[in-house]
Amino acid sequence: MKRIALVLTALVAALTASAQIQFGEKGGYMTIGLESNNILYVDDAKLGTTYPSKFGSNDYLKIDYVKGRFSVGVQGEAYLPALQGYEDLRNNGYDKPKVMLASKYIQWQDANYSVMVGDVYDQFGNGLVFRSFEDRQLGVNNSIEGGRVTATFGNIVSVKALFGRPRLYSSTNGYSTGWIGSQYARSTVGGADLSVSLSDMWDSEELMLSVEGSYVNRRERLDRELNGMNYGTDYFPYFELTSPDLNMYSARLNLDYKGFTLRGEYAGKGKDISSGAVLGKAAEGSAVLAELGYNVGGLSISAQARRLEMMGTPLSLYGNIGVMGNTLNYLPALTRQHTYMLAALNPCQMNAEGELALQADVYYTLRSKQSRQRYWNFHANFSTSYTLKGYQTASGKRELLWSDVNVDVERQWNKQWKSTLMFSRQQWNTSHGQGPALPSTTYASNIFVGDVMYKINKKFSLRMEAQYLLSNDYEGDWVAGLIEFNFAPHWSVFFSDMYNLGTTKTNYYNGGLSFTHNRTRVQVSYGRNRAGYVCSGGVCRYQPAYTGASLMLTTSF
Amino acid sequence: MNKLLCLAVALVASLTVSAQQLPDVKVENDAGKMISTRSLVGKPMIISYWSLACKPCIQELNAMNDALEEWREEADFEVVAVSVDDVRLKARAKAKAASMGWDFICLFDANQAMKRAMNVSLTPQSFVVDAEGNIVFSHSGYTPGSEQLLFEKLLETIKK
Repeated sequence: MKRIALVLTALVAALTASAQIQFGEKGGYMTIGLESNNILYVDDAKLGTTYPSKFGSNDYLKIDYVKGRFSVGVQGEAYLPALQGYEDLRNNGYDKPKVMLASKYIQWQDANYSVMVGDVYDQFGNGLVFRSFEDRQLGVNNSIEGGRVTATFGNIVSVKALFGRPRLYSSTNGYSTGWIGSQYARSTVGGADLSVSLSDMWDSEELMLSVEGSYVNRRERLDRELNGMNYGTDYFPYFELTSPDLNMYSARLNLDYKGFTLRGEYAGKGKDISSGAVLGKAAEGSAVLAELGYNVGGLSISAQARRLEMMGTPLSLYGNIGVMGNTLNYLPALTRQHTYMLAALNPCQMNAEGELALQADVYYTLRSKQSRQRYWNFHANFSTSYTLKGYQTASGKRELLWSDVNVDVERQWNKQWKSTLMFSRQQWNTSHGQGPALPSTTYASNIFVGDVMYKINKKFSLRMEAQYLLSNDYEGDWVAGLIEFNFAPHWSVFFSDMYNLGTTKTNYYNGGLSFTHNRTRVQVSYGRNRAGYVCSGGVCRYQPAYTGASLMLTTSF
Repeated sequence: MNKLLCLAVALVASLTVSAQQLPDVKVENDAGKMISTRSLVGKPMIISYWSLACKPCIQELNAMNDALEEWREEADFEVVAVSVDDVRLKARAKAKAASMGWDFICLFDANQAMKRAMNVSLTPQSFVVDAEGNIVFSHSGYTPGSEQLLFEKLLETIKK
């Protein structure tokens, strides 16, 4: 067994090295990245959870080889089976062990041109009409299997075009029971993006001014029968769709001048069924996004406003429209992303069918002239969003979807001590604007956080958090704490606890340690985890409550 | 036999060391312009990936910023801070970077093309890159004090 392991190691090492041996120091090189997330689930009477299958594992192996202007790569994925909470994967056959070649590419590029064949990740502008990306935490990968060409002319004009079929993990139930297990949508996606830098025409150093535009087409046969399979719903009459083509476009303006930033984007789309829409028929969509920013000295101000109407765009109509990763564009919630446990309990959920949103941030840093190690950092943040259409709510009127006000004060006292105080007031609508049938109440929480770090010497440090959530709504008050010991550069040990003082009286505890050596990091932990939404962009994954031991390994070489 | 195999592993493994290079990727700088990562090559550098939701990343960047004056007395190099915040948070990441007064080259990798090309799974992740663009060291995670290890590796690169 030991010998086999050694031989395997030698083979992998030889494979890794072969390119370098063959081409010498100036030749190609290979990089390999591995990420493995494993959880052993434990039945928990308090949570009422039992698991017929106690183990879950999501694993990713990415290998790239680069030689001069050529690069080639693959990504393998293994679900042994998929972790609990990745329900869109589990329902699509990943509740049994599955290993697959998930993506591959070959690319040639020089300073001005590139040609790529394989699985494409890209984004046009702010992603309002197109973004293909991978988010392993959410279990999303909507890369486009096909090709892409890009060209740049004298730093002034940049153009790119792509075509292919989208990757789609999940296509179960509802409209397409016969589609289980397919990795790709039955639609095709094509698009082009153009950027013209006006400021580079007159060679300005201080001014950056560009105009940009994008066009995206999604084409999908609307008849329910394809290759002898019946997809359940015929979209022509059901949603009043008339064309297999969905066309989307966007126009953008970007301006940067002496610390001042102005950006704007308008996007439009043809008749389509918006993801998660209450409106039971196809409709045209539009979006407007505006951004202002100003930096001077230690002061930075940033503000964004956005209007969305019927902009949720599924990769495929025949792939279950409501499924999390079935999205061609990117519509993130316009709010802060909280990292403290209690502030992140109920994240904001964007509403693509109709939403008006606004957010603003002010940062200010006051640094001591005598010592770089002493400073104050102030951060204030405000965001709010409202429904757009009367039919989205029971009252028939515009209603608040989300609002939060956050203030952070961070003080680095000296080389040893640092403290942060944070206050957050969050309000959200229980219906999330998802139709008049849902109860519409506004819940409010006030969250207080204190965070202290003490650096004992160059290697040892200690960090502590104390948090309290004050609320008369939902589950009532919460209290939480965290303590973390760090031994640089390898070890870190932590323990956290979160307790509901209100309705559930449930204790959520978590403890673990991590070891890091160069590019390898291993973390083991054990704990009870609360049910809730894990959100990124316009995409939220519901994570059920679970108790268990987890092992996470990341490495690259 | 086992010894021979061990020797073979050691030999082959030793051949794999080095030669990884900074990939050529287009990424946005703090002025909003798309630049090629290869245009950074010329000086040794520490490349550090961060995001607004990654507290240890910001701790690491602050620690490097605090030590920078001292470090630069010993070596001429750059720190490149690469934000992987997507469009939701990119404007805020720019505001944060500008406000903190980080004496770094700040890049914004909103669709993670550079992160993907450098095979970064999790942040924080930092790289030491020599003046020829070779990646000579990398470290995952951050514990207060581990920034010193990056600087030591950078100094080793310069002294070679």
